[in-house]
Amino acid sequence: MKALERALSWLLSGRRQTASHALLAPAVLWLLIFLVTPALGLVALSLARNGAYGDVVWSLGLRNYRRAFAPQFAPVLLRTVGFASATTALCLLLGYPLAYFLSFRAGRWRGALIIALMVPFWTSSLVAFYSWMIILGKEGLINAALMRFGFLSSPMGMLYTPFSVLLGLVYFYLPFTVLPLYGSLEKIPRQYVEAAYDLGAPRWAAFREVTLPLSLPGVIAGALLTFIPCLGDFLTAELLGGPRYYLLGNLISNQFLMAQDWPFGAALTSLLLAGMIAGLWLYRRWEPDA
Amino acid sequence: MGADFSRRDFLKAAVLAPLLPSFLAACRRAESGRVVNFFNWSDYIGKDTLPNFTKRTGIQVRYDLFADEEEMFAKLRAGARGYDLVVIGDYLIPRFRALNMIEPIPPGALANMGNLAPRFRHASYDPEEATVPYLWGTTGIAYNRRTLKRKPTSWWDLWDPRYKDRLSMLDNVRDCISVAMQLLNIPETTNSEADFQKVRDLLVRQKPLVKMYSSTSYLNSLVAGEIDLAMTWSGDLFQAAKDNPDLDYALPKEGTYMWVDCLALMRGCRHRQDALRLIDYLLEPKVAADNADFVRYASPNEKAWPFVDPVLRRDPRVYPPKKMMDALMLHHILDPEQTERWNELWADVKVA
Amino acid sequence: MSRKRGLAAYCSALYAFLYVPLAVMTVFSFNDARRNVVWRGFTFKWYALLAKDAELIGATTTSLELAAAAAAISALLGVLAAYAMVRHKPFRGREAYGALLDAPLMIPEVALGVGLLSFLVRAGFELDFGALACAHALICLPYTVGAVRARLKSSAGERLEEAAMDLGASEWLAFVKITLPLLMPAIVSGCLLAFTVSFEDFVTSFFLAGIGLVTLPIKIYSMMKFGVTPEINALSTVLLTATFLLLGLNAWLAARSDARART
Repeated sequence: MKALERALSWLLSGRRQTASHALLAPAVLWLLIFLVTPALGLVALSLARNGAYGDVVWSLGLRNYRRAFAPQFAPVLLRTVGFASATTALCLLLGYPLAYFLSFRAGRWRGALIIALMVPFWTSSLVAFYSWMIILGKEGLINAALMRFGFLSSPMGMLYTPFSVLLGLVYFYLPFTVLPLYGSLEKIPRQYVEAAYDLGAPRWAAFREVTLPLSLPGVIAGALLTFIPCLGDFLTAELLGGPRYYLLGNLISNQFLMAQDWPFGAALTSLLLAGMIAGLWLYRRWEPDA
Repeated sequence: MGADFSRRDFLKAAVLAPLLPSFLAACRRAESGRVVNFFNWSDYIGKDTLPNFTKRTGIQVRYDLFADEEEMFAKLRAGARGYDLVVIGDYLIPRFRALNMIEPIPPGALANMGNLAPRFRHASYDPEEATVPYLWGTTGIAYNRRTLKRKPTSWWDLWDPRYKDRLSMLDNVRDCISVAMQLLNIPETTNSEADFQKVRDLLVRQKPLVKMYSSTSYLNSLVAGEIDLAMTWSGDLFQAAKDNPDLDYALPKEGTYMWVDCLALMRGCRHRQDALRLIDYLLEPKVAADNADFVRYASPNEKAWPFVDPVLRRDPRVYPPKKMMDALMLHHILDPEQTERWNELWADVKVA
Repeated sequence: MSRKRGLAAYCSALYAFLYVPLAVMTVFSFNDARRNVVWRGFTFKWYALLAKDAELIGATTTSLELAAAAAAISALLGVLAAYAMVRHKPFRGREAYGALLDAPLMIPEVALGVGLLSFLVRAGFELDFGALACAHALICLPYTVGAVRARLKSSAGERLEEAAMDLGASEWLAFVKITLPLLMPAIVSGCLLAFTVSFEDFVTSFFLAGIGLVTLPIKIYSMMKFGVTPEINALSTVLLTATFLLLGLNAWLAARSDARART
């Protein structure tokens, strides 16, 4: 028993690098088996050629990568980054006050309110999409109400616009921004903020100088958990977007499903992965407190 | 415990409760017997069809679901094993066969094969009858009678700027490109780059009018009145029309395509005899008729027609009259190069 | 005071935004039409159908179990990994580990589904509940790691831990008695995120589900061709109500044990 405790303590202390690696080992093992190996398979696939009826021909080359840099795909990439950035920004702006409220003001309702934040997503997202269609549709609730009270003479099209895509994305990713934010805000000792007040700082200054900087890890975690999945999202664009808002996720999944061009889909995936891993890695290098 | 049931106990119970059913299920799974693993769309079979089969033969049917044929194909191609029987569209059959993914049904293995109408025997997509036709329908135009003043009569109506943002196209390479070729009088057998360019231009010209490319979710939009006009598959529209009686179906005057969903045996299936028995059962006239009535698709089973719901049987949209039947085309079977070129073209339209 | 009220009002509005679709869903579970897009009249029939629908109930149970298993696995892996990432002094390859831990978020699901399926089949894995739970744990991992890591970073618990160790407690004891309780809110929110991600995942589940394994999203997406019936709305409403009842019961029991502790 004592020996076990000593072993566990050694693991947790991290005095030796081996302990750090050992503590990360289970997660890394998982990632190696279920992510890295299949991803390497995809990289290999991306070098192959698409053969008859979507058969994979193993004559290796970079043709799929050359094709991926064709100018016709640039707008798709830009549009995707645009939507992902806008969603992340909106989620942070909308979500920060909520996370703040949950951390400092919610009192004994906090637990319930946090769970209530996730509960809407415990139904199928498809059901939520359909509900949004009912709300935003031409014969939907908003149009019906506006026309009833004479604000509109004919229904306005809200579905299949950038607005509906953005609304869908914000709706689905908001909790993924708020929870990490809450996680780090909640941790800020109240005394720090009170000390700032005691030193005569106005509320806003106290927030700007104390709370906000201390919550930055949460802001970053929330932004990542929103931005990155947004880049690969295809369902929102498909159900709420229409053909003009074709995103990278749609392009990639279409290669695997519709076009049956797996090598090209794998090449696009590899590029996306490489770009994001490089970005994150660079970011971690200069991140001050990591 | 009783009165002392605390919050901690409650949490424990809450955590353990979900595990109980899986334990029970694990016990259930242990029982073995004869079984057929059937891969199909949800609800694409009569409600009593499979239970009756099990009652008669004692063979269980495990019914697994897919949401999209292309997804199903991708899953099987990536190596998913264990399915015995799968429903695939006619245009997929050459692909399945070329990649050696299905086992041809042995000739003479099915007593009820002769029930099929001659038109559905040895069709161009499957001359050797490796598969068995299950249900069929046509590609046409769905429209909303209330909001559209005029019944659409031509494929060109889908290019009419008046319907901007009110129409949808099937997200399907075959249907969209075939129709565009038909409108441009280009044969589907073409290999000419100039022809493909013309097809692309026509589809890109249509794109600003199109509210969505979709093969499933557009049906909801039709019912909700979000769109008024759509390229559609007949049976899907009849299902949707149950919820919006204003929806109707028109076959364009240029002529159109028929499609046939077929039953295929998967390569390496472990329950061949029982799967064949199920196919044979599905070919029985009464069974086929009930099945077709439930899903509202047309049955290729000639002997079943007398048992089909007379309302459906008389509906020219479901069972077109002889003259219209003769005008229906099957999709041309593309060779691998053409398939690739068509896919590329369609991907081009989508990102344009 | 009014500032506080303003914030509370804002938060209520945000919750309203999140719950509007659920209200619509609940109302349409009483809708007398097969497709839940247009109101056609009031009925209870979807609830009656649901009660008898063994297939749908089975799919729901499978999904619940799957989400619970995935959340548990990813929480265990995530806490250990996040702890090493934040609390340990810098070690070789930490940036690489960090990028790797976030990687499941980056790979588009269809690509992951195809890649993972090809790999598992080739490696001879049986595609059963366990395999699917492992794959779900993978896509959930970044969420638990993210939540826990963010809390550890903004934490002041390190000093408490040090104080405990100065008083002679081992690292293990300090971890169990101080860090873990301090981490609990983050672990819970990480688990909630993980549960949610797993419960509504369609693409990965579709590719990796073996014979006879039908999750709720697979069932629902497959219904799209012929209409997702209000039976799904009824089911979602039941799940929602059950969740809220459980939450209420939990809160009530908490209040009661609080009261008892005080007396």
